[in-house]
Amino acid sequence: MPFNDRIAQGLESGWKVIDSATLTEHHTAEADVVIVGTGAGGGTTAEILAKSGLSVILVEEGRLYYQKDFKMDELASYANLYQEGMSRTTKDGAIAILQGRCVGGSTTVNWTSSFRTPDETLNYWGKRFGLDALSPDAMAPWFDGRETRHSMSPWDMDPNLNNDILRQGCEKLGFSWQIIPRNVNGCWNLGYCGVGCPTNAKQGALMTTIPGALDNNATMYHGLRAERLVMNQDRIESLQATAMASDGITPGKIMVTLKARHFVVAASAIGSPGLLLRSKVPDPYERVGKRSFIHPVNASVAQMPKLVDPFYGAPQSVYSDEFNFRNGVDGEIGYKLEVPPLHPAMSAGVVPGHGDEQAKNMARLPWMQSVIALMRDGFHEESPGGTVSLRDDGSPMLDYPISDYLWKGLRDAFYTMAEIQFAAGADKVRLMHLDSDWYSSWADAKAAIDGFAMAPHRVRLFTAHQMGGCVMGSKPENSVVNGFGEHHQVSNLSVHDASIFPTSIGANPQLSVYALAARNSTRLAQRLQT
Amino acid sequence: MTDLLTQSEGLHCASLDRRNFLRTGLGGALFLGTVSLTAGLSGCATAPAGRLGAVESRMDARYRFQFLTTDDIELFEALLPAILGSALPEQASARRMAIASTVERIDAGIHKFGPANQKELRQLFDLLNFGLTRATIARVWPAWRNVTTEQADAFLQRWRTSRIGLLNNGYIALTKISNVAFYGHQENWQLSGYPGPPEWAVQALPQFRNI
Repeated sequence: MPFNDRIAQGLESGWKVIDSATLTEHHTAEADVVIVGTGAGGGTTAEILAKSGLSVILVEEGRLYYQKDFKMDELASYANLYQEGMSRTTKDGAIAILQGRCVGGSTTVNWTSSFRTPDETLNYWGKRFGLDALSPDAMAPWFDGRETRHSMSPWDMDPNLNNDILRQGCEKLGFSWQIIPRNVNGCWNLGYCGVGCPTNAKQGALMTTIPGALDNNATMYHGLRAERLVMNQDRIESLQATAMASDGITPGKIMVTLKARHFVVAASAIGSPGLLLRSKVPDPYERVGKRSFIHPVNASVAQMPKLVDPFYGAPQSVYSDEFNFRNGVDGEIGYKLEVPPLHPAMSAGVVPGHGDEQAKNMARLPWMQSVIALMRDGFHEESPGGTVSLRDDGSPMLDYPISDYLWKGLRDAFYTMAEIQFAAGADKVRLMHLDSDWYSSWADAKAAIDGFAMAPHRVRLFTAHQMGGCVMGSKPENSVVNGFGEHHQVSNLSVHDASIFPTSIGANPQLSVYALAARNSTRLAQRLQT
Repeated sequence: MTDLLTQSEGLHCASLDRRNFLRTGLGGALFLGTVSLTAGLSGCATAPAGRLGAVESRMDARYRFQFLTTDDIELFEALLPAILGSALPEQASARRMAIASTVERIDAGIHKFGPANQKELRQLFDLLNFGLTRATIARVWPAWRNVTTEQADAFLQRWRTSRIGLLNNGYIALTKISNVAFYGHQENWQLSGYPGPPEWAVQALPQFRNI
């Protein structure tokens, strides 16, 4: 049966999409603007610039995967759609990094949660980083516009039980909770957002801005690794890139040179600082790679008396901000509470253990429920974030030390999550810590958490949100770009992704990226047309 | 940090000082690099196993190993019964098949990890395969092919409960790679009560139809 989805149709109609693995000789191309990255930031930028009549080239290191490839299979998806085959971690291995690596970037594999940047965060940026122009009022139209573009609205079906248990626990304890807005259109409520939406309901970059850019004459290279930006005096002259083999991970011998008037880097909070560092772009105050934030996540799992089937249904539909800003924007660390989907490989990777004990844990997966806490890092002097640097081979890595300030928040979150799960009727709760047993009462869990050693590796930590590393600010001494994402030192370079956030967001970041990229691209289009 | 130093009465060797290992932490890159080099010089298998004969390997003869060496394969053949426990079938040939196919998926998964993480895993596997470090750091005396499931389990427990973060990290790496490759595989979904993607959706979606 022929495919009639947006991507298949577009390719059929002659979109300029180049699989770099098929290139047989060195190659040079030129456009008004070269954009590195096709995720939330790169896609938005490409569509807006292309629609304004500028010629655009998009560069994506991952490959183009779409409906024909999205078969609801974890192992294939983790291997192909995620950075480092889902094995990416922080430098010391203590924090697992979930991050997309494909056309559409993380928007192709995220769980569709679509939050505006909280007012508290925007106001803090104004006060602390001189970004008054990003006030909630000023940003509102940009959020409105992107909510429409990506079909974002609060989920109107019933939450699955996995999510509803978070709601029930919060209700019992008097904690606030809310329904999550999702970027979907005609969602089948299957539960496979994290492995590539099989129905094209998810309105990530892959179904919206990428087709929008390609319809407007943009060119996209996929399987092409941006190696370095080449400077000529005080401007960038070209991007040097390497075509990857068709396995997506082996660098080939073909080099591609892309020339442009302007360059937009949107390669993620790890990739963008990596590219700027490799390129030795001027960085007089050594700010590139600094202030990297990740919303460090810890987790708790529960055994429920009723079947949860945590692998089915919209993965995230309920959240609680009860603890997110409770201590003010810059007091003790706040955290957002959400729920992760649990498929077999994901669960086997998240729940630590081996042997008969692990076999027993896994056998109870249909009754398993999980809550996660996302730490709002970067709002306190004891939360300065991590650092992106380069390995010997030039690839970027994130070093993220965990301060006592963060450990305290993580321990507090363990208490909160266990308490919520017991309040919702859990038979047993286990915290994702190497020393945690299954506890059958809130009192037992509480006593155990009191004694947990809060140390790297022992506490199981994750991140699905990478931010910062090329942060924006009014002063070049403490930032890389200005409030429009324009590089302080290099006039034809902009950064349009989550790496410009000067703190974490305090919510799943995709809408923050879309909105800022839309705002900054609209300005860039005007600049380049005059 | 010192329990490994004081408790282990194992070999003392001037060239591979355990204190070095502890001081360098994960930066043990230097130390582990030494192991890789030594392993190479002493004739340990350091090249990917490639395509093994069906008899020799007990594997699918068509599978071509891209990362794991024959030593690594023996390591996982020793560890998987301890990591997977009662989830593995009891019947001998089914058990062999389950282990063999899990090892192949581990290899395929690691291929997609890319060079940086492959380098880290190479160091970990070399440390576990090289006799001196296997004995002193993993405290496993026999070669892996002679290690019982009880011994493998005891090793995993030691690394899990150790106060040395680097060893905890090794425990997580070994078990996570194995658990994901095993439980994530379609044939093993039933072990976690997962029925797979809803049948009605599979029926309705074009990507599941033969073109």
